[in-house]
Amino acid sequence: MADISAIRESGGIVEKKTAGDIIFDILNYLFFGLFTFSCIFPFYYIFINTISDPALVTAGKITLIPHGLTLSNYAVMIKLSDFWQSVLITVLRTVLGTALMVFVSSLAGYLVTKSEMWHRQLWYRLLVVTMYFNAGLIPWYLNMASLGLTNNFWAYIIPGIVSPYNIILVKTYIESIPGEIEESAYIDGASYWTIYLKIIWPLCKPILATIAIFGAVGHWNSFQDSLILNADSPALQTLQHRLYIYLNQSSNIGAVLSSGDASNIASSLNTKIIQYTISMVTIIPILCVYPFMQRYFEKGLMLGAVKG
Amino acid sequence: MALTVSANPRTVDERSAGEKIADKVYWILRAAVIANVVLLFFPGFNPARMTALMNKNLSLFTCAVSYDKIVAQFGTAVRYGLVDLAHFSALRWCSLVIVVSVVISIAGACMSLGNLKLRKLSLVPSFLGAALEIFCFVWMRNIFNSIVAQARTAGKSGFDEVAPVYQGINYLYLALAVIMLICTVAVCALIITKPSEAYFEMKPKYQLFLMMLPVVALAFVFSYLPLFGWRYAFFDYKAGDSLTMEKFVGFKWFGQLFSNAATRRDIVRVLKNTLAMSSLGILTSWVPMVFAIFLAEIKNGPFRRIVQTFTTIPNFISWVLVYAVAYALFYTDGFVNTFLKSMNDAGVYNTNYLMETGHMWLKMLAWGMWKGTGWSAIIYVASISGIDQGLYEAATVDGAGRFAKMWYITIPELIPTFMVLLLMSIANILSNGMDQYLVFTNAANKEMIQVLDLYVYNIGIGDGSIPLSTVVGMSKSIISVILLFGANGISKAVRGESIV
Repeated sequence: MADISAIRESGGIVEKKTAGDIIFDILNYLFFGLFTFSCIFPFYYIFINTISDPALVTAGKITLIPHGLTLSNYAVMIKLSDFWQSVLITVLRTVLGTALMVFVSSLAGYLVTKSEMWHRQLWYRLLVVTMYFNAGLIPWYLNMASLGLTNNFWAYIIPGIVSPYNIILVKTYIESIPGEIEESAYIDGASYWTIYLKIIWPLCKPILATIAIFGAVGHWNSFQDSLILNADSPALQTLQHRLYIYLNQSSNIGAVLSSGDASNIASSLNTKIIQYTISMVTIIPILCVYPFMQRYFEKGLMLGAVKG
Repeated sequence: MALTVSANPRTVDERSAGEKIADKVYWILRAAVIANVVLLFFPGFNPARMTALMNKNLSLFTCAVSYDKIVAQFGTAVRYGLVDLAHFSALRWCSLVIVVSVVISIAGACMSLGNLKLRKLSLVPSFLGAALEIFCFVWMRNIFNSIVAQARTAGKSGFDEVAPVYQGINYLYLALAVIMLICTVAVCALIITKPSEAYFEMKPKYQLFLMMLPVVALAFVFSYLPLFGWRYAFFDYKAGDSLTMEKFVGFKWFGQLFSNAATRRDIVRVLKNTLAMSSLGILTSWVPMVFAIFLAEIKNGPFRRIVQTFTTIPNFISWVLVYAVAYALFYTDGFVNTFLKSMNDAGVYNTNYLMETGHMWLKMLAWGMWKGTGWSAIIYVASISGIDQGLYEAATVDGAGRFAKMWYITIPELIPTFMVLLLMSIANILSNGMDQYLVFTNAANKEMIQVLDLYVYNIGIGDGSIPLSTVVGMSKSIISVILLFGANGISKAVRGESIV
């Protein structure tokens, strides 16, 4: 029975499943099913809590299915001004930081392919070497402080503009494009700028989309810079930082809220709901761009394993 | 592309002696501009630090961009009328004008790489930049005099408190500006009479260099300049102090790591945590590979895609969000407790699992694997789909079962990728990053969870012991670089291929 229970085609050769195969398959499906469930369920659990009746959430009645559907939790969150502020800051840094990073990476990636540049090898090596060492947290912090980049929005943007990994990715990509297109444009008298804008940029779109999307997720998730550099400026703190603060100050979150415009909100929303709702708001954008990201995964893998 | 398109080609030989001398003078001018730029960023060379009240770690650039930092410690002095903030506002503007003048000089120096016509135009910014800087020298002198006058009004003790000091470095700025001015005038005399070309032009190699320059400059400022901060490791330093030679302590802080019992205990504990958690990570680094291999055994396409899609999501959320997930599941009123409660209404379930300290390393490993396995597996999934199907068919014909095929075909094909990643993770054994451990830290588990990166953060940013944390961070960086090159050497010797 076991020998003929399943017959499948593999490259034109008929294989028979043994009992061992079936047990393995069952265990395999079971394992992957459970692991996948563990990756989905927490988000589902947080989500059903944010759309359920606050009273039931507080009473701990929401476990597997939502009850008393309502959007009031989100509606109340939106009224919190410091929440809006951090959403604004995070969106702004993500958009601006990613745009500048992509622009500079593509330009620099193009430039380092040009062998006629004065001392090209030197500049390129100077960039690549920065991937392999790191002065350490404290020298970095003191440096940022001396540049006036503490308690300053630009601390999120400027240090991230030059990203050696992305420059190398773009460079490798451009090197794979046939050089003739560019050369003929050059002979026609096009300047480097024109070539970059009219030829390189359109040809590089796939790789630029990859670094843009990974860069954007990096900006959205970035937390250390807000924590270390902008600790004294609540108005500049990112959403991740805000969430961290809310998760950590669960005991006095009511006090945090009532100090603002939200004294009556604090009573209607309890700590748990605020934490869950902010978590959800922080995750949703990632989940929204996620389907678009998937097609860039394979290129994105190179982000972790590029060679100078 | 070794093409140079030029509307008016002139070889070097056709150029006059005057132009050749001008070439040399330009190098002096450019060197002066570079020196000037560098001075802006070093706190030791700040002409704007005119009173002892100002933080000694302000560079001229910082003064220019941040008025708040100039007057940060002026509270009392302003109240007693020892200083007039108007003077310091002027000081800030003066610093800013110096920065602007340097920027103008940079523009001039960049233009000087062009043809004769562009060089003639470059005289304007070069002259303007130098002149502006000289003007700032006089301006700064005036500001200093007003500060002294204001301080005198408060008598001797007030004067001592403000302690105005005229920085000698002012003269260096003046000297640089004068050199730039002389060079500009000299070049002007040498080239102004020469007939210039019809168009502004620059050799391609310099055009490209100037386009690259801002990128290199940014990399320098954010990656190389912090290395200069390693000097804090050799001084007795507290935030706001100055680094004078009396405070130089040599390798005292390095010795402290071993001689001070409390510090030594901390270091040993932190290193134990770091190495334990990194080793656990390395010991389980085969998991993503096996994950990918077993995933490939799932022949149901939609199911496989669902698995891949959802197991990759945790990689794209931050550690703060992972903590939010942990919080939602395991906190006092989280899922586990509410679920148990719903099963058994009579029971009391209010354990805060996040505060439980047992198996801390394994728990951290588990979170790391939850977050990373799906993503790390993708590289193997990609490699598996690239394996020649003929190999499998041939093996099937030879009667190999699925495990035999995994063992003799798939794994050998994946081993090179695995080895690279393994070597990289060995090179990174000291760097587990701090985000994960920072978010999961609490009063109960902080002893077991503190890794090197987090320790540096805690003692440096939290406690303000800057020299010690610099020493730790610096040692870590150096060891990491050595490990990386070691791993690279091994890779070269064994596989004949480098990994960096």
